[in-house]
Amino acid sequence: MTRVELETGGSVWKLLVRAGDPVEQGDTLFILEVMKMEVPYVAPRSGQVAAVHIAEGDAVEEDQLAIEISG
Amino acid sequence: MSWEVETEEIQRRRELALGQGGADAIAKQHSQNRLTVRERIEHLLDPDSFEEVGPAAGAPHHDADGNLVGFDPANFVLGFGKVAGRRIVVGGEDFTLRGGSPSPAGLRKSVYAEELAVQYRLPLVRLHEGSGGSVGGTGGKGASLPGPVNTPARFRSVARALATVPVASAALGAVAGLPAGRLVASHFSVMSKRTAQILTAGPAVVERAMGEKKTKDELGGWRVHTKNGTVDNGAEDEAACIAEIRRFLAYMPGNIYELAPVQSCSDPADRCDQNLLEVVPRNRRQAFEMRSIIASVLDTDSFFEMGRGYGRSQITGLARLNGQTVGVWANDCKFLAGSMTADGAQKARRFMELCETFSLPIVSLVDEPGFMIGSQAEREATIRHGAAAVLTAAMTTVPWASVMIRRSFGVAQAAHYGPEGYVLAWPSAESGPLPVEGGVAVAFRREIEAAPDPDARRRELEEQLAAKQSPFPRAEALGVHDLIDPRQTRPELCRWLDRVQPLLPSLLGPSGFSVRP
Repeated sequence: MTRVELETGGSVWKLLVRAGDPVEQGDTLFILEVMKMEVPYVAPRSGQVAAVHIAEGDAVEEDQLAIEISG
Repeated sequence: MSWEVETEEIQRRRELALGQGGADAIAKQHSQNRLTVRERIEHLLDPDSFEEVGPAAGAPHHDADGNLVGFDPANFVLGFGKVAGRRIVVGGEDFTLRGGSPSPAGLRKSVYAEELAVQYRLPLVRLHEGSGGSVGGTGGKGASLPGPVNTPARFRSVARALATVPVASAALGAVAGLPAGRLVASHFSVMSKRTAQILTAGPAVVERAMGEKKTKDELGGWRVHTKNGTVDNGAEDEAACIAEIRRFLAYMPGNIYELAPVQSCSDPADRCDQNLLEVVPRNRRQAFEMRSIIASVLDTDSFFEMGRGYGRSQITGLARLNGQTVGVWANDCKFLAGSMTADGAQKARRFMELCETFSLPIVSLVDEPGFMIGSQAEREATIRHGAAAVLTAAMTTVPWASVMIRRSFGVAQAAHYGPEGYVLAWPSAESGPLPVEGGVAVAFRREIEAAPDPDARRRELEEQLAAKQSPFPRAEALGVHDLIDPRQTRPELCRWLDRVQPLLPSLLGPSGFSVRP
């Protein structure tokens, strides 16, 4: 299981995947808004989205677990 | 009568000293993937270049008849040696003896390292694995007597070394107490991810005092200390740490009385990378990769980043421009929008201090939205650390070239420009007291609230004001030296560096301020 954790706090602007979706390495998973900038998070490897722990509009914190990828 | 007997004893003592803490202690060191201090020194230095200082220091053992039966060398190995043909001073604790906790002679040699480096004006490299004093005293048999009141302050030489010669240190095993304090008193520090921990105090002391049960790695492993700036860099293992130190030294002059060495450069000064034209998105909310700009502007593969793991909104490192060492400082808008955080400000301040101490010109690539804001930023005293960075920049005397890449806002932006600095702007540059998105909502609050469609009115005002932040009016007013095609950045900077050459020799010698950890 690969864990995608947040490098900074901010708010979730766009969530682009759901649990069960297949993803390729480099696909954008979600976009955080931090200090008015868009910060895309991409899949570190190919696989399947096993769990999504964030929702659009969430205020999130550094080190928070956002998404898990399996397969 | 010759001196053969004594000469033989000298030789015997030397041989015994090379045995370090004994075969078992060395085997244990190796089984834990760690080298001995003598092996580390050999890896660092050019072959056969080590000239040891104080190899006879230590404690002999004699039998009842007065014959020499053993010799415990001082557990700090010290000497001169060469790195890439340039002489340095090198030292490190011998962990195979007393776990690196200083023996009386070991302590004397360890504090001599900085003094030697300052006296001979040579770069200093410390390879640390060891701990501080013990309540048993350095002799191990009861509390040691304090030095007399007129003993020179022990840490003065540490501070003087930072003001005089390049100091690079590595943490290669557990480093605690005094060695940890000296490790961080460096211009460049690196820790081995595989083998090192840095501890103000180890697990047993922490549990006794705090009731906190943690392993050495949990307390002071690389995940903790590369993120908080205790060390500049983390490297996979000992060999990688030593390679980073050799690389750092290659950029640096031997001391503050010399200019940094210039290398021949095969990368054309007039190289104009096409990607610079499109690297900054027109959509101001979209981030870009500042490190790709650094790669395009500086000599190919010459950027040596320092402190990538902490203060991440600021990027700092050494690089070459047409073969000459420059300090590079840039913002990373992918991390907290590139804003000036408390730790980013400390990182930038230390970096400017390094450049000022060693007369390195600074290339500043600016995309500064301002100080980080919010409750966490307030708790971290961001404004004070940020002001320290701003004032440090204002007191520098080295030449600066600042390129306005995108944003340049607020008080924080002032840190990115040196006095009488050379300033270039890209067409994407925006500047002002604060970014329009925040500023409009505050300054025009009543007007926006009164509008039939407040959101539309806010956007309209933002667009009007954003147009005023365009770099053209700034260039018209000689607010920048030039407004340039981004592809021309490298040739422009190479010409600037050529122009400032006559200024550099007069900067040599002690600076108005040096580096503080």
